[in-house]
Amino acid sequence: MADVEFDEVWKQFASQTAAAVKGLSLAIPDHELLVLLGPSGCGKTTALRMLAGLEEPDSGDIRIGAKSVVGLEPKDRDVALVFQSYALYPHLSAHDNIGYPLKVRKLSKADQEAKVQRVAKMLGIGHLLPRRPGQLSGGEQQRVALARAIVREPRVFLMDEPLSNLDAKLRVHTRTELKTLQRELGTTMVFVTHDQAEAMSLANRIAVLNAGELQQIGTPDEVYNDPANLFVAEFIGSPPMNLLEATRDGDSVVTAGGWRIPAPRERAVAGSGTVAAPAGSGGAVTVGLRPEGIAVVQPVQDAQDGVQPAAVVAVEPLGSEVIVDVQVGGQSLKIRAAPDVRPESGSMIGLRADPTAVRLFDRATGLAIH
Amino acid sequence: MAVARRGRLARNRLYLAGLSPAAFLLALFFVGPALWALGSSFTNRALVGIDAANPRFVGLDNYVRLFGDPDFAKVILNSVVFVIGSAIIGQFVLGLLLALLIDHAQLRGFLASNFVYAAVLLAWVNPTIIAGFLWVAMFDFYNGSLNTGLHVLGAQPANWLGEGPMLAVIIANTWRGTAFTMLIFLGALRTVPSDIYEAARVDGAGAVRRFWDHTLPILRPIAALTLLSVTMATFGTFILIQTLTNGGPAYQTEVIALYAFHEAFQNHAVGYGSTIAVVMLALNLAFAVVFLRWSRARA
Amino acid sequence: MTADLTAVAGAELATDQLATERLAARATAPAPRPKARAGPLEWILIHLTFLVVSVFFLVPFVWLLSAAFDAKATAYIQFPVEPTIMNFVRIFTEHDFGRVLVNSVFVAVATMILVVATVALAGYSLSRLDLRRKDWITYAVLLLQTMPISATMVPIYGLARQLGLRNSYLGLILIHAAIELPFLIWLMKGFFDSIPRHLEEAAWLDGRSKLRALVEIVLPLARPGLGIAAGLAFLSAWAEVLMVVILIDQDSLKTVPLAFYEAMRTQGGYVEVQYGVIAAMAVIYLLPVMVVFFAARRLMVRGLMSSTRGL
Repeated sequence: MADVEFDEVWKQFASQTAAAVKGLSLAIPDHELLVLLGPSGCGKTTALRMLAGLEEPDSGDIRIGAKSVVGLEPKDRDVALVFQSYALYPHLSAHDNIGYPLKVRKLSKADQEAKVQRVAKMLGIGHLLPRRPGQLSGGEQQRVALARAIVREPRVFLMDEPLSNLDAKLRVHTRTELKTLQRELGTTMVFVTHDQAEAMSLANRIAVLNAGELQQIGTPDEVYNDPANLFVAEFIGSPPMNLLEATRDGDSVVTAGGWRIPAPRERAVAGSGTVAAPAGSGGAVTVGLRPEGIAVVQPVQDAQDGVQPAAVVAVEPLGSEVIVDVQVGGQSLKIRAAPDVRPESGSMIGLRADPTAVRLFDRATGLAIH
Repeated sequence: MAVARRGRLARNRLYLAGLSPAAFLLALFFVGPALWALGSSFTNRALVGIDAANPRFVGLDNYVRLFGDPDFAKVILNSVVFVIGSAIIGQFVLGLLLALLIDHAQLRGFLASNFVYAAVLLAWVNPTIIAGFLWVAMFDFYNGSLNTGLHVLGAQPANWLGEGPMLAVIIANTWRGTAFTMLIFLGALRTVPSDIYEAARVDGAGAVRRFWDHTLPILRPIAALTLLSVTMATFGTFILIQTLTNGGPAYQTEVIALYAFHEAFQNHAVGYGSTIAVVMLALNLAFAVVFLRWSRARA
Repeated sequence: MTADLTAVAGAELATDQLATERLAARATAPAPRPKARAGPLEWILIHLTFLVVSVFFLVPFVWLLSAAFDAKATAYIQFPVEPTIMNFVRIFTEHDFGRVLVNSVFVAVATMILVVATVALAGYSLSRLDLRRKDWITYAVLLLQTMPISATMVPIYGLARQLGLRNSYLGLILIHAAIELPFLIWLMKGFFDSIPRHLEEAAWLDGRSKLRALVEIVLPLARPGLGIAAGLAFLSAWAEVLMVVILIDQDSLKTVPLAFYEAMRTQGGYVEVQYGVIAAMAVIYLLPVMVVFFAARRLMVRGLMSSTRGL
């Protein structure tokens, strides 16, 4: 078990014009489950592979347990990686797959057997041990891959989208299990995914990457509630944060449709990895409102202060909630409403923004204004 | 940066090391001999005697001699006739027709097609020198099966290897190499989706139309490449002709590989033989480059 | 000889190299297509053509078998009046064929081992090499493959003499291996390309060195390809005659192709051709080729389609 550090790490592939990872700096304390989150091609897998020793950084330093691992062979790093494809050895049984790293470490036959059996029991795959990977379902393969990583008791677990090949139901189930497992084992884990819901549910902290650059690092709550920039705001949350172009007007901002929203008061924001833009830089801003930060007011009362009339475009009942699609001044918004809110498509409703949920971004830089 | 790039380079060094035994053998027996031939072609190197130990640089003399050598003109002509006769008309056309016939017969469920397939294949997999031996016997003037067969049919026996040696080696090489083209086209024909045929049949297209409109466009790109490969393979033919006629009689079947061999080993003119080899390699390289271009264009 | 056709064969092999059985199954069963009834005229015409074609391709072999078992064989096909194995006895007693056979098996097996080891390393390395100009290496290999060995036999003879590789099995084995390398490197690269890199990466992370990960994890998965490489290398070294003829002239080192070559060349002229004896040699010469070939016909056909040289 060990902490992990990325220090100004750069990586460029010969075949590509842009760098895959640009000056990544991250400190992951021992026992933490850190999720590297971002769209495909954002450099998250490259960062993970550099940590594993499968790629070498062009510059910068990577440390595990305060010791630099740059230039160290993968075999000497004592980290375990679960691949997206699981990478089970097709010609070995599940038992021998799990036992392989122990065999490599020259453990006695009895010790190997005891450890394999214990991990298999822990993951409930005892009955699968004699089978070859080809005879296992995707979920079973995933468990064997996990067992192969756990059995070694490595210093760090690396997970490269290990859940993305599972069906939706199994994915959610395994997610919970994985989180519990990590907490019980207490091993530092770096988990790569493009699925923001997965990241939110698993992570102690999330590091959001885009185009090779770290956008923000923080707890799930922090990145959800206080996105550092427009990219994070749009990437996290489903439906994502509504973004409306607006101009400043004293204590409030006015959107294109003439919706006057009170500007948030200055607050202290924790865990932001980026420098906050100076407040009040210019008049052009983007207002961010989470779908649940807007209340539906029916019927429309024009006179009421702060209530904006809006045309309902579509209504999506999801059972526990209803997503209402509306238009305000040519801009689309999604609102998360209680299940009994059922306006007619084409009708008008009133919107009221929750003042504590309003976020402002500088339109030129895309950075959050606090 | 340079320091940190060592990871990728270190791994590549390992892979380059993995390539090195193969690279060594290829350099020793492919590149080396080719360069040796090129070097020798500018000398009067001989197989035995003083010129063997101390060959003298003669500049382009060998090349000048080669291009004024009436025997070489004859050899080139022989090679062209041999390639056109046995590779293009023989192996390629026969192979294509056989593939179409066998494919059609398989469609009809005729089991005999498997038998014919195996027979053609058998001729191909046996060592070349055995093929040579078998056809020496087939072409034998007095007792050969061919002449005996002609006699039974009431025709005059022919002096195959004496009077029609080029035809004889073309027949033998066709016999030996047809399977290659046949296999390639059979493979290609199996990729023709059957629904194309069904659709065409529904449209009322006849068999000939179907062939021109649907089968041929699928075969055409692979046909060009097959043609080039059989040409290259046939261009290098040595053992078969050496066994059957050894280039004779009177240079009638002397193709380029035999000529290089005879000059170097029988006339002991290694320098001159190397010059012939260089010309042969250059021609082959030209074919190969065209071939690689085409296959890249396809891919 | 044939880069693209190599591509056809290799690509097909490579796509399902992880499942030999599937490969074999697919190779034997052409895509099912609807069968249509034929008219009687069509039946007759097609079978007549088949008869002519079969006669052309099989008569030489029928003669070979009849001659091998006939003590008084001539160039003409006739069923032996008294079938005998005298010819076979004679090649072993008069031509020392036993030693020749042992020599040949030794050379072919040694070549096979050398080739398999070399192409496993080279094919894997070429597949995993991470260079911008990697294509060039691949094309260079393909170019070498189209190089006719008959064009370079003169320099090879000279070179072998200078290096003391004449009348030595080392020389013969090295050159037989070299002849097969370009194609087989290319073939094996295709196999290794289809083995996911994640597998060896997983083994590295599990603590294995690069070489042991290759041996323990990657090579077992490339077994079908290595099998084809071994088969083709053996057959080629067994059958190849040109290099044997220019490199070997000591009786004690003679291999089957050379014995056959000499038996053929010393015949004719004023000596009556001993067809029966040569035919018996040919039958033995041909036997391993047939056995290997028809044991794994489909696989070998695919392989050979791209490597007509050497046989």
